[in-house]
Amino acid sequence: MKNARRLSQILFLALFLFLFIQTEYKGSNELGLPVRFFLDFDPLIALSVLLATHAARALFLFSIVTVVVSVLFGRVFCGWVCPLGTLNTFAGWFKMRSMKPGEDDTVFRRWRPVKYYVLFFLLVAAAFGWNAAGFVDPISMTIRSLAVGWNPAVNKIVRSFFEFTYAADLPWVSPGLDAVYSAMIGTALAFEQPVFRQSILIGLLFAGVIGLNALAPRFWCRYLCPLGALLGLLGWKQALARVDVDGGKCVSCRRCNLSCQGDATPFPAGRWASRECLACWNCADVCPVQAVSIHPTTRATGDGNVDLTRRWLLASGLGALVAVPAMSVGAHRTRPNPELIRPPGALPEQAFVRTCVKCGECMKVCLTNGLQPTLGQAGLEGLWTPLLVPRLGYCEYNCNLCSQVCPTGAIRAIDLKEKHRIRIGLATIDRDRCIPWALGVNCIVCEEHCPVPGKAIRFEEEERENRRGETFTLKRPVVNPRLCVGCGICENKCPVVDLPAIRVSSINETRSEENRLVL
Amino acid sequence: MNRRDFLRTVAGGAAAGAFLPLDGFASPLFPEAAAAPFAVVTGPDPAALVRRAVELVGGMDSFVSSGDVVFVKPNISWDRPPAQGATTNPLVVETVVRLALEAGAKRVVVADNTCNDARRCYAHSGIKEAAEAAGAKTPFMEARKFVKTQIGGKAVREWEVYRDALDADRIINVPVAKHHGLSGVTLSMKNLMGLVGGARNRMHQKLDTSIVDLCAFFRPTLTILDAVRILTAHGPQGGTLKDARTLDTVAACIDPVKIDAWGTTILAEAHDGRAPEEFAFIREAEERGLGTSDFRGGEFHEETLAG
Repeated sequence: MKNARRLSQILFLALFLFLFIQTEYKGSNELGLPVRFFLDFDPLIALSVLLATHAARALFLFSIVTVVVSVLFGRVFCGWVCPLGTLNTFAGWFKMRSMKPGEDDTVFRRWRPVKYYVLFFLLVAAAFGWNAAGFVDPISMTIRSLAVGWNPAVNKIVRSFFEFTYAADLPWVSPGLDAVYSAMIGTALAFEQPVFRQSILIGLLFAGVIGLNALAPRFWCRYLCPLGALLGLLGWKQALARVDVDGGKCVSCRRCNLSCQGDATPFPAGRWASRECLACWNCADVCPVQAVSIHPTTRATGDGNVDLTRRWLLASGLGALVAVPAMSVGAHRTRPNPELIRPPGALPEQAFVRTCVKCGECMKVCLTNGLQPTLGQAGLEGLWTPLLVPRLGYCEYNCNLCSQVCPTGAIRAIDLKEKHRIRIGLATIDRDRCIPWALGVNCIVCEEHCPVPGKAIRFEEEERENRRGETFTLKRPVVNPRLCVGCGICENKCPVVDLPAIRVSSINETRSEENRLVL
Repeated sequence: MNRRDFLRTVAGGAAAGAFLPLDGFASPLFPEAAAAPFAVVTGPDPAALVRRAVELVGGMDSFVSSGDVVFVKPNISWDRPPAQGATTNPLVVETVVRLALEAGAKRVVVADNTCNDARRCYAHSGIKEAAEAAGAKTPFMEARKFVKTQIGGKAVREWEVYRDALDADRIINVPVAKHHGLSGVTLSMKNLMGLVGGARNRMHQKLDTSIVDLCAFFRPTLTILDAVRILTAHGPQGGTLKDARTLDTVAACIDPVKIDAWGTTILAEAHDGRAPEEFAFIREAEERGLGTSDFRGGEFHEETLAG
């Protein structure tokens, strides 16, 4: 059983990483594979979005599979499928190997209810309009942390090595390694080095989650994971696969507890906690006297499930009730934030923040690396939602990949024809910095790059004389707000690189009724 | 002396002579240009146009030797389909690659430093597929391969240049004829901006001199101008079929100035019918001895092929 489980974990992790790498432009407008796959099967995402927005997506139906499996078999998803669970299994292995009998009675055992309170907090908050599940949902968190934190780091390290050997120009070695490098770019490595704001913060938070394995194996899964809590509650009966310990045979060696991925206490007999069981079934494998069996039964084979106290449920529910209005304290809701340029297809701001689960797939797939995680721009409630930072990357005119990968519809599915009509902001020219306006020297880079057929940037032309007395036509750019879609390529390519002379702000965005410029 | 050695010498010389007057560049880099044959071929099949035009200017054998590494530089700048006229016709590129390989080239590389996302430009222009079908390599330009190089021009002294283009034995420039918001037209000299990296946007401030500098530096072996579909407004990117016209024409010459001078005449509606010598870059290129704008002056072939 152990080998089957390991194989399943490795295959699902490999699939996850494959889909993660696949979440990138591969030469076709349509991403062939369902890169949201794991999120589609995540009932916590479905439930929280449902509660927060009262709107369902057909894709949420996939999560019913996970629900059914959990009801019948318990937390099989945690033990066999979840990529974060698998990473924790690897990381927790070291701790598990070093534990001696007795250490299985970990001091953290009383933390087991925490995840249920976290879940309760999230669901109450969602019901009242703050969708915070994505911050701690394991799938969403893993995708975001890899996309924004770890993928850039891995790319940087690998690229540095190959760039070093390329620059060193060694005979035989450099060309050989360069061929390897070329083959890796766009396949194992990103096409361009990804660059993200908050890369290190988001990467380190994830490292912290993995690091918790030093305290207890699979610490996150055992004590904190809200999805684990949800699946545990669903799988409370798990009539098709229950752990059953024969007290008469048990020799109290505690090996079952020491090998338990969850903190499900198969030992002592009759104390098994079904909600904590990650269905790793190591207990049955390691038992030297075959006292542990896993079989279908409706009989209560263990009474170890922790009781949730009314006091703490009340506290987490009240906490959510306080947190929801607290989220709207602060300046971010008083008027539209000029920096908050949302990707095309994004729902109106309030609905967007409620629907987005901060998984970061849109940031991963963005061709130009322009989509970045917010910090304060959308308030704490909208932390790590995507915004376009034109100075880092613009919105490619004929691309709608972000709308293809969004798991919740926070970025609506839009075709290119519709996309071309959506304004996400407006470019304005800073005439004190614009080279033709301020210095009387031609430039036209913004106009040249403007992708709108017919050009949203035009020139005011004037015959001028240069220092040598020759006449030339000075072309000073002017933006037409009716045509400008706010894609930001002008800001991105402006030769005034630090604070560009043409900048996009969110004004004029199609999705907002109030953030408008002209009548 | 092959192209590579020549470039090295020029680069070295420019580095050594950085403080000397730059008048040295007034000496003609294309002494044979005035007499160089110039071909304009019109007809429905772009591949046939390229073959005939190259044949009329001497055949690919006279430009590419056996074992050469040939760098073909089309315009792949924009994420636009071929019909919009913003990028070089893929059939034209494909045929140039085939001709080079038929002439014995060891390897043909087709690449451009694009403005939009390179993957999209390469795919949607149709050039990647066409060039690869003909046997060329179509690598994406990578940042690490741009090396600081002495250009020794009047506006562009030192710039990041794509190493594969420096290392190639021959450069065949395959621009498309387009309108341009600043220089009026973008033709062969402007097309060479796709071989440099860095903050090349800044070159627009002295665009005419900069592109002449690049032309003097890269010294393309042959220029083949794609005028199958030309872009007459809202260049260099276009974006609508309304701005593109079908001319079904290809021109070829070793003299980039002749090519560009002729190119302005087919783009009259893009620049209110100015004469070639009214374009500063053509005037400057001529003054600096890169060629002659008198494209009818030497051996001039104009042909129409039947379908």
